[in-house]
Amino acid sequence: MEKQRLAIIGTGEVPTGTYPDRSQWDIIYETCISAVRDAGIDKNDVEAVITVAPQAQPQLTAEISFGKIPEELGLKGCKDSCICNAGGASTSNCLRLAEQLIESGQAKFVLIPHVTVHSTIPLPDLINFFAKAGIDLQWEYPYGTTYNGVIAMMTRRYMHESGTTEEEMASVVVSLRKWATLDPNSIFYGKEVPTIEKVLSSGMVSSPLHKRECNVLADGGAAMVVTSAEIAKQMGCPAAVKLGESTRYFSAFTTTRSTEDVKNGFLQGTNDALNAAGLTKEDIDIWNMYLAYPVGHPMFMETIGLCEPGQAGKMFMEGHTWPGGKLPWATIGDAIGRGHTGSGVSMATYVETARQLMGKADAKQVADVNYIFQNTSGGSGMNFIATVWGRNI
Amino acid sequence: MEMQKPIPVIQPWTKEFWKATKQGKLLVQHCKDCNANIFFPKKVCPKCWSENLTWIESSGKAVVYTYTAMLDMVEPKFMGDLPYVIAMVDLEEGIRMTTRIVNCNQDDIKIGMNVEVVFEEVSPECSLPVFQPADESLRLASPDQGDDTAVAAEPEKGMSPENYQTILYEIGGICGGECTITLNRPDKYNAINRQMAAELIDAFRRVRNEPSIGVVVLAGAGGKAFCTGGDLEIFPSLAEHQNSLNWLSHEGLDVQRAITSCEKVVICKINGHCLAGGLEIALACDLIYARESAKMGTTEINMGILPGWGGTARLPRSMPIFRAREIIFSGRKDYTAKEMYDMGLLTRVFKDEDFESEFEKVVKNIAAKKPIALRMGKEVMARSADGCDMETALAVERNGIQWLTYSPDIQAVMDQFRASPDKLTQQQKQQNIRSDVKK
Repeated sequence: MEKQRLAIIGTGEVPTGTYPDRSQWDIIYETCISAVRDAGIDKNDVEAVITVAPQAQPQLTAEISFGKIPEELGLKGCKDSCICNAGGASTSNCLRLAEQLIESGQAKFVLIPHVTVHSTIPLPDLINFFAKAGIDLQWEYPYGTTYNGVIAMMTRRYMHESGTTEEEMASVVVSLRKWATLDPNSIFYGKEVPTIEKVLSSGMVSSPLHKRECNVLADGGAAMVVTSAEIAKQMGCPAAVKLGESTRYFSAFTTTRSTEDVKNGFLQGTNDALNAAGLTKEDIDIWNMYLAYPVGHPMFMETIGLCEPGQAGKMFMEGHTWPGGKLPWATIGDAIGRGHTGSGVSMATYVETARQLMGKADAKQVADVNYIFQNTSGGSGMNFIATVWGRNI
Repeated sequence: MEMQKPIPVIQPWTKEFWKATKQGKLLVQHCKDCNANIFFPKKVCPKCWSENLTWIESSGKAVVYTYTAMLDMVEPKFMGDLPYVIAMVDLEEGIRMTTRIVNCNQDDIKIGMNVEVVFEEVSPECSLPVFQPADESLRLASPDQGDDTAVAAEPEKGMSPENYQTILYEIGGICGGECTITLNRPDKYNAINRQMAAELIDAFRRVRNEPSIGVVVLAGAGGKAFCTGGDLEIFPSLAEHQNSLNWLSHEGLDVQRAITSCEKVVICKINGHCLAGGLEIALACDLIYARESAKMGTTEINMGILPGWGGTARLPRSMPIFRAREIIFSGRKDYTAKEMYDMGLLTRVFKDEDFESEFEKVVKNIAAKKPIALRMGKEVMARSADGCDMETALAVERNGIQWLTYSPDIQAVMDQFRASPDKLTQQQKQQNIRSDVKK
């Protein structure tokens, strides 16, 4: 029997931001019900719930781990429930688990939710979590490193090696925010897009990283309903189908990670995913990148040969990656543009991939989209999961 | 007591490494079977899974691979170290470490710079290997001077108006006799962060050394706000009790004191929002002029706390107490300048369209007075307003004026008076007329 391809057929999402009256469970209700309705199935058709692990929220994690979502939503057909944690790469792994259940015939429809509410986490807990996540407690943390600091060091090295200017680095933020302002679920929806000068005039956090080159923590959530491409086709509904996938693991910590390994992983992982899909990079209509901070974007772009080495900064500066550009890039604006929802930005990126392929991306909709490349990554960049998605033709 | 910084979480197989740091030695784990040098140290060799592991002593020499100056948004326990430099360095033994670069000016650090190890004690069990420039001329102190691991570039070192990042400091301007200090973070509504607090303290201390200046104007850049108080970025650090207390008693108290103990007459110019800590800074000034459309208030109670930079002390001393209480308890941020004036606060409110010109007139007039008289006036009135008894207040006044009268400045005038009393009387009349609003 031919391998069943995975298809996303329904999505639900709430605006990212701080809404004190919106509880974690409000978001779960709203996103899951929207996703099930968008898929056009009955709630009792959901046969499994595989949830993206929320970060820094142990109580919620415990509730979801021990099966509260199917009960809360009254999913009478649900046969099993679990949670999956690989940081920012969690959603990719939820999709793979769902794929297994569907492939083996144990479930037809799987619900994949995510929720993060940073704003109600006690501040000391939040600071403490992000100061230690992906940072080694023996060899890194005692020096006073932070996520921003670690990325700042990567950024300085990248700029040094590639000759990329600080204006070009800032233009990555400009590009991401140009997409974000079109996105009703972004914290920057409808907000003025900062100029390069404005990005660079924001305070220096960890040199050379300015405040506007860092992420804003926010609350958010989304859900997807997935099934097989075959069933999606029978249902006659628009769907995003996973055509290829490849992954690379690098290291848990940035100190022990070589840039060469990362670049090789980017290149090989991308090529493997494209080969599995029977496509080349020229076939890709949208590069839906989830790299959290600006530096990964130009590094990835030039590593896989979408421009000459050292020229990626210019690609962002000249507008090729903007809405209407020849290389639509990170169309929710990555974490910089969306607002950082812990493990949720990868979920939001998959939702966007699905909506673009379903023709449901509204103001962000790129014309004539057939193929999308999307990546995810966990921790401080421990791995690279490359996927290629297409329409259900 | 300073907050406890994290110490390395030591594993059984890394005890040897940390023990050596106490003897000033940097060890590198080495696999005797495959000859690999290993970092981070492991229980078995990550290349060949051999357990035949040993330690070799590193030369301590390394090259900077990359680095960052940490300036903001760090854990509360590291706030006191800001700014500090984190780096990755490549050791001669072929391993890469995360560390700090110490004992040098941040601007001198470059990728590729040669560095060498020194040790910073963090606990009785271990010291952290950190690195200083190999080039001794780049070090802030020689290695034998004890504290050779001091963190690079203290914020106060070399602080001057030319390198202020958050305020502007300008001598002259309206009439040449004043200094203007402008809170200059307009995109943040001129909110006060640690840098701004440090720079304000420096600026108000600096202006004391300008004998010809009698007036300091304290203003906010951008027209949207004078100041909206403490920057929200500060708040994560205030989750720690000690940091919170320090923000109030170090930065907060020092900024207030820098203003109130500055011998110049400090005139606050409120143009836009003046809220929370911003209003409290205004209250430390000697005169407060506001644009009619300015909005004011103290919002701290909305967070369950209270104004902590002098608000509860100065508001009730600046206006009828029943009105001061309303301002603090209501948490309103929409009191108009006119309302505040009617309630008894503020020196004066001017119509928006007239504000700049009217404010200029006030500054011009006061700045034309003798700095020595303004200085004495500020001090005499401050002591009097602090609540001493009437006789004491009158004695302070009497003696203050007597001192002024015999100051060289005034004696020079007296010499003229003795020589030609009529001429001086005429001059004095002209001065009096110039000081009136209606001429």
